[in-house]
Order: sequence, then C-alpha cells, then structure tokens
Amino acid sequence: MLYFRSEEHVDRWCSAWRLDRGAVMTLDQGWRLATAWFTEDRRAPEWRRRTVDEIEQLFGGIGLTSPFWSLR
Amino acid sequence: MNDDQVRARVYDVTMRSGKPPLVAEMVAHFGVSAAEVAESLQRLATGRVLVVREEVVMAAPFSAVATPFVVDSGGVSYFANCIWDALGIPAILQRDAEIRTSCGDCGTGMTVHVENGVAHGDGVIHFAIPARQWWNDIVFT
Repeated sequence: MLYFRSEEHVDRWCSAWRLDRGAVMTLDQGWRLATAWFTEDRRAPEWRRRTVDEIEQLFGGIGLTSPFWSLR
Repeated sequence: MNDDQVRARVYDVTMRSGKPPLVAEMVAHFGVSAAEVAESLQRLATGRVLVVREEVVMAAPFSAVATPFVVDSGGVSYFANCIWDALGIPAILQRDAEIRTSCGDCGTGMTVHVENGVAHGDGVIHFAIPARQWWNDIVFT
C-alpha cells in the first residue's frame, strides 16, 4: 500500500508497473482503517488475529464493501 | 515461555525501541535455547502473526528493516511496512506522530502528521492487491 500525491500519480504508477488499478482511498479513510485495525493491544495475552468474518465486518464498518475487499 | 509471551515481548520491545528484539535477546530474556525461540517464532509466522526470516522481519505495523515509511513518535523512529502500517503505528502507540515517505510514483517527499487523533496530509492511498491475495506474498503486499 503506497502513498501518492494524487490519483493521477496512482494511474501513472499502475501504468508503469502494468498493474490494474486497485483501490484508492483518502488519507482520512486510511486513518480510520488503521485505527480500527490496530486498536487492540498486541502485547495482551488474549490478543488473537481476527477471523474472516470479523475482518469483513471491520471493512464494512468503514465503507470498504466492494469485491476488492472480499476475503472469500 | 509460550508463544503469547514471545509475541508480547516482540511488540513490547518494538513499541519502546523501534526495532523487534533479536533471537539472541529473547534467549537471554526468557532463559531458553535459541531453538525454542526459533520454534516459537516459526509458529507465530505460520499463524500469520509475525513475518520471520530467521529473525523477526515484520511485526505489523512495524518493520525490522529500513523502508520508505519512517514514523517518528515520542522520540523514537520506526519503520513501517506500507502507508497503512505507517498510519497504524500512531494508532497502536496511541500517540501523535510524523510520517515521512514519498510519492510512490514520482518520489516527491510527502509528510503526514497525526495530531490528537486526526491525520493531516495531502495524498491518496492505493491498495494494489485485492484483500484475499495479501498473504500470497506479504512482503510484496
């Protein structure tokens, strides 16, 4: 996941690497995703990786519902 | 020593110092053999908790090796694996931070400031790999 100056720069990068354009999000959306994802203390004995259902629920909670975000 | 304790130690050291502990440091800390630490790390890698190449390479959101995502927070410099992880560092530390990176296309330096729970910056984030494929090659992802 890279950071770009604009969507035009995303498109240039995809073209240069011959990759399909993936998913573009604003910094604010990325911040909400990061804070949701890393909210739990990974030093805690009870910490566990999320299940597929939990991850999809987390994605859905911040509007990431397209097939790109599907884990199945 | 169990795997939860090893995970906790990896995160504790990384969050305080910016770098995951080496196997040798965990051997000294737990008073066990290098083989026992290595076996625990391999189980954590198999469980996709850490990325391990003999030593811990990634303990998301932290990277053990230098990357183009530098996060300064609380007087400590951290490396992140990607922009999502770079944002994840102030999230997991629950502290303000400055993220220094560059445009993935043109290389122009870019900065993100996280202050009082809000991220400030002018760029956009691009996810190239669909979510279901992230762990096919997590280092590339």
